[in-house]
Amino acid sequence: MSTQTQVLEPFKGVKKVPLEEYFTAGHRTCQGCESALVMKLMVKAAGPRTIVLGSTGCMYVANTTYYSTSWVVPWMHTQLGSSGSAALGTAAGLKALMRKGKIKEEPINVIAFCGDGGGADMGLSAISAALTHSEYNFLILLYDNESYANTDIQVSGLTPWGAHTTFSPPGSMRRILHRRWKKNVAGMLAAGHPECRYVATVCASYAVDMMNKVRKALSIGGPTFIHSIDPCPKGWDYDPMLSHELGELAVLTGVWPLYEVENGVLKLYGKTKAIAEGRQKRLPVREYLLRQGRFAHFTDEDIEYFQSKIDEMWEKWLIPGVIPFRKELEKELEKEE
Amino acid sequence: MERSYAVEIVYRGIFQKNLAKNIARGIVLAARREGKVGIAFGRYGDSPERNGIPAKQFAIVAPNEEILQESMAQYEPKEVDVTIVLDDTLCKGVESWAWYGLQPINKLLKPGGTLIVTSLLEPDELIKFIHRKPYEYNLAIVKGAASFSGLWVYKDDHTDVRVLGAVARVAPEMVSLGSIQQMILREWKNELKATSAEKSYSRITMRKVLPHEGNPEEPYSFVLPRWYEMREGIAIPAIPVGGKYNEEGGFAATPNPYFKKFSTRTMRPVVDFDKCVKCTLCWLQCPDTCYNVTPDGYYDVNLDTCCGCGVCEAVCPVDGCITMIHETNFTDHKSQWKMWKQDKQAYAKWVDELRRSRPPRSHGFQYRGQYEKELASIAEER
Repeated sequence: MSTQTQVLEPFKGVKKVPLEEYFTAGHRTCQGCESALVMKLMVKAAGPRTIVLGSTGCMYVANTTYYSTSWVVPWMHTQLGSSGSAALGTAAGLKALMRKGKIKEEPINVIAFCGDGGGADMGLSAISAALTHSEYNFLILLYDNESYANTDIQVSGLTPWGAHTTFSPPGSMRRILHRRWKKNVAGMLAAGHPECRYVATVCASYAVDMMNKVRKALSIGGPTFIHSIDPCPKGWDYDPMLSHELGELAVLTGVWPLYEVENGVLKLYGKTKAIAEGRQKRLPVREYLLRQGRFAHFTDEDIEYFQSKIDEMWEKWLIPGVIPFRKELEKELEKEE
Repeated sequence: MERSYAVEIVYRGIFQKNLAKNIARGIVLAARREGKVGIAFGRYGDSPERNGIPAKQFAIVAPNEEILQESMAQYEPKEVDVTIVLDDTLCKGVESWAWYGLQPINKLLKPGGTLIVTSLLEPDELIKFIHRKPYEYNLAIVKGAASFSGLWVYKDDHTDVRVLGAVARVAPEMVSLGSIQQMILREWKNELKATSAEKSYSRITMRKVLPHEGNPEEPYSFVLPRWYEMREGIAIPAIPVGGKYNEEGGFAATPNPYFKKFSTRTMRPVVDFDKCVKCTLCWLQCPDTCYNVTPDGYYDVNLDTCCGCGVCEAVCPVDGCITMIHETNFTDHKSQWKMWKQDKQAYAKWVDELRRSRPPRSHGFQYRGQYEKELASIAEER
């Protein structure tokens, strides 16, 4: 019984990326939808022998309205919190069908995607359970546009502090209604599932890097997880042509660290690595925040607070951007200071 | 007023959601001041809205409850007295995501009804885009560029009240200018906005559109299979993987045949192939998979599928290679690469002319303080 994965070598440069598209034009997403780009690049990286499962959210509703699809590869809808269960079930089903000789034995990529609502709120326990099933091969990709964007922008567990949403409109009595900090999903899943061989964060503004992380996740074997930050022109309120630039700004301001945890080894990559090694200066978060209408109500103090939380992540965390603990010893030293 | 009046507002999803709501609500609140009743609502099938995809709101005004209830006994109005178009590029027809195929902008307009369009164009220039009607109707233009903002920050450039002023002019039996102004003072508490409505009332350009004047094109449509014609498990066929761009090679993706998306765009990318360095970024970063690869390694945008987001212009590293140009400068979807191949000199001249065309880009929030700056310059112009 084979549990082989496909051999997917990294693309060595953009000229080596294949021309074929497996997620095509004619979906009903917003102008400049970064999540649609993530779908396109994800399945371009995976190739034709791939099954994609999508839990409810923009990438389900906007792409597959009545009798209509943009998928070239087989695609199936699954319920909001079910990306983990659907990925595991499909991988197990394929294995059983191959064992019984009902389908040809070959490695088939299984990818389940979920939004931040479906993944980080509702589906977190199913994803966690799926990541412990190390005998099945699949990837769960979380496309994070930082709100329940499909139903017109409600707060999710991944909405950043202070953002204007349907649930948190700034008013004259209270300027900041959303006072919770964004969950650290990739770090949590990497730390919490020692048998999981690959967890990564990505940003589609760096397309080749992003596709190569998907290829590694699909070829390394066992359950894997990727968390993608997706600027959303509708919910973040910006001119759609800025989608790419906002993705870059999320990384360059240090709000979104790029890293991978491969067989338990943490590697920063791309601009995040350059920032961590001091080769590049982290940009002030102001440049990221004030490009978005959802933060237009921020005062200088709000921006300072946001900056201080990002600084804390880079300067105080045990592993900056990944693990938010501080050692007791460091705490003691701080007191003495 | 003996009967009910129906008004539809066709707008760009999200960009003009708040604007359309202000207008629909404004009509009903103003009519109430005259003792009439009414209701303002968004079309259910347009929700959840997407940036740029055409959407609709309606306002129904009636002399009494009974007639209002009678008018509301249908899902949405089958015909309207006034169609308000908040962006002139919608005049080419709309493909909302609630149904399939392209619908003429004046589809629901009654004989003798009025199409109000916010535009910088003259009526004659606009009529060539609007599909023909077998009967006479009126065209009214509220002069101005389309007002775009987003869900959270509203650009209060008075487009809402200027359109309301125009409504009072074209349908005085439904609502008078006086009621509109009273409503504005009550709702917005803003004298300047009430004055804007009055100015617009007297300044709109009106013209009769005769039967068979306009765009002769047959809007595209198709028949969808019924649910019982689908496969077991409600499965449907996937899209075929694309193939060569032409017999010489390249690659062209096969798009979804049931939704083209081009009516979402207000601007289209124009590629200056003489400047292209084949960096691949437009092709790679396009969220809508619009760029096909030509046999000689250029990237040719499929204008049936491009929704005009502008990401390609933003990522293009060469200055002036990809430029977003307003859609009112075009009447077809011809391949730009083929045009360039045919006659490079003529193409270069065409691109050069387009670069000087108007209006410039206005797609909502780019940075804090931008709207304030824009409003200051609009105030100066007026």
